[in-house]
Amino acid sequence: MLGAYFPVLILLFLALVIAVAFVQLAKWLGPSRPTRIKYSAYESGMDPVGSARDRFSVKFYMVAMLFILFDIEVVFMYPWAVQYKQLGVYAFAEMVTFIIILFIGYIYVFKKGGFEWE
Amino acid sequence: MFEPSLNLYLVVSAILFSIGMIGVLTRKNAIILFMCVEMMLNAVNLSLVAFSSYMGHSTGQMMVFFVMCVAAAEAVVGLAMLIAIFRNQQNVDLTKINLFKW
Amino acid sequence: MLSTFLFWFLSVIAIAAAIGTITARNPVFSALSLVLNFFALAGLYLTLQAEFIAVIQVIVYAGAIMVLFLFVIMLLNLGSDSKDAIASKLQMGLAIIAGGGFVLMMTRIFMIQLEPNKKQSVLMNGKVEKIGEWLLKDYVFPFEIISVILLASLVGAILIAKKYKAH
Repeated sequence: MLGAYFPVLILLFLALVIAVAFVQLAKWLGPSRPTRIKYSAYESGMDPVGSARDRFSVKFYMVAMLFILFDIEVVFMYPWAVQYKQLGVYAFAEMVTFIIILFIGYIYVFKKGGFEWE
Repeated sequence: MFEPSLNLYLVVSAILFSIGMIGVLTRKNAIILFMCVEMMLNAVNLSLVAFSSYMGHSTGQMMVFFVMCVAAAEAVVGLAMLIAIFRNQQNVDLTKINLFKW
Repeated sequence: MLSTFLFWFLSVIAIAAAIGTITARNPVFSALSLVLNFFALAGLYLTLQAEFIAVIQVIVYAGAIMVLFLFVIMLLNLGSDSKDAIASKLQMGLAIIAGGGFVLMMTRIFMIQLEPNKKQSVLMNGKVEKIGEWLLKDYVFPFEIISVILLASLVGAILIAKKYKAH
């Protein structure tokens, strides 16, 4: 069974080798004449002020959080969708119940303004 | 000896679990603590999958499935609480969150 | 042969990444090593023929949960830990003794020859079709309960984390 994944392993290995090789080749082959100006963040702009690691907006957090919960919902739908024909009406009813319960949550979030981008 | 066996998978799982435990015991940053808890959950998942595969029984894998979903729900609520704490206290250092400490 | 190599390779990566997670000073490095740990675990699940579990490990854990962790780290703008946030030598030593003792104890227990010593590969255990059948036939009730848990955490997260404008 693992043999079926051998191409994936080769792909991963090739990706690693190519990524490392190109970065190193660019370093070794390319001419490198650094000056202080070239190393500055904006070569022909203003000098950067303060740290680049500033605080994110909380809006991103809300989106990521809601994404995880609906991501789980989709993960549950996938094995059902694969076996849809064999599982029949009963499984369909179960899945509809599942989706309705999560849809209530969706409506709640919508009403509370969780999706709003203030 | 070098062939992977059920015992070896369980030993790897125990090592990962105890690394997570050491992290929970020594770190004071609440987010890293959360990550260590996730790591411990994953260690247990590994042992469940190993049992399921070697016993030829489905229960282990279904349990891992549900553990992952509960872990996702737990991460969402836990991180929401961290953000609420950060709004009030301006840090997430667990030794400084001691309002109720006598 | 391949599975032997993969087992050792992925186990070493998983354990090294786990150690990286608990020792890195910067929370972002911690989170990234944890992602590596999750990927290695997904590979270990593949060697155990749990294909679907391996895929959702990558999608849910490495893809969604760790992104949320990184967002929160950046949102709170946590720098490296300050000096007083590091555990004392005594705490560190005791924790390592506890962890090492736990591993030794478990290793001793696992030295017992466990009954099934061969993988039951005939059963095509981890295929998506099988998971779908189990999920919707044998595990219907937990499946529906999960939707309620997700609903509860949806409501909880909105209540706790959302900032309301003061009227």
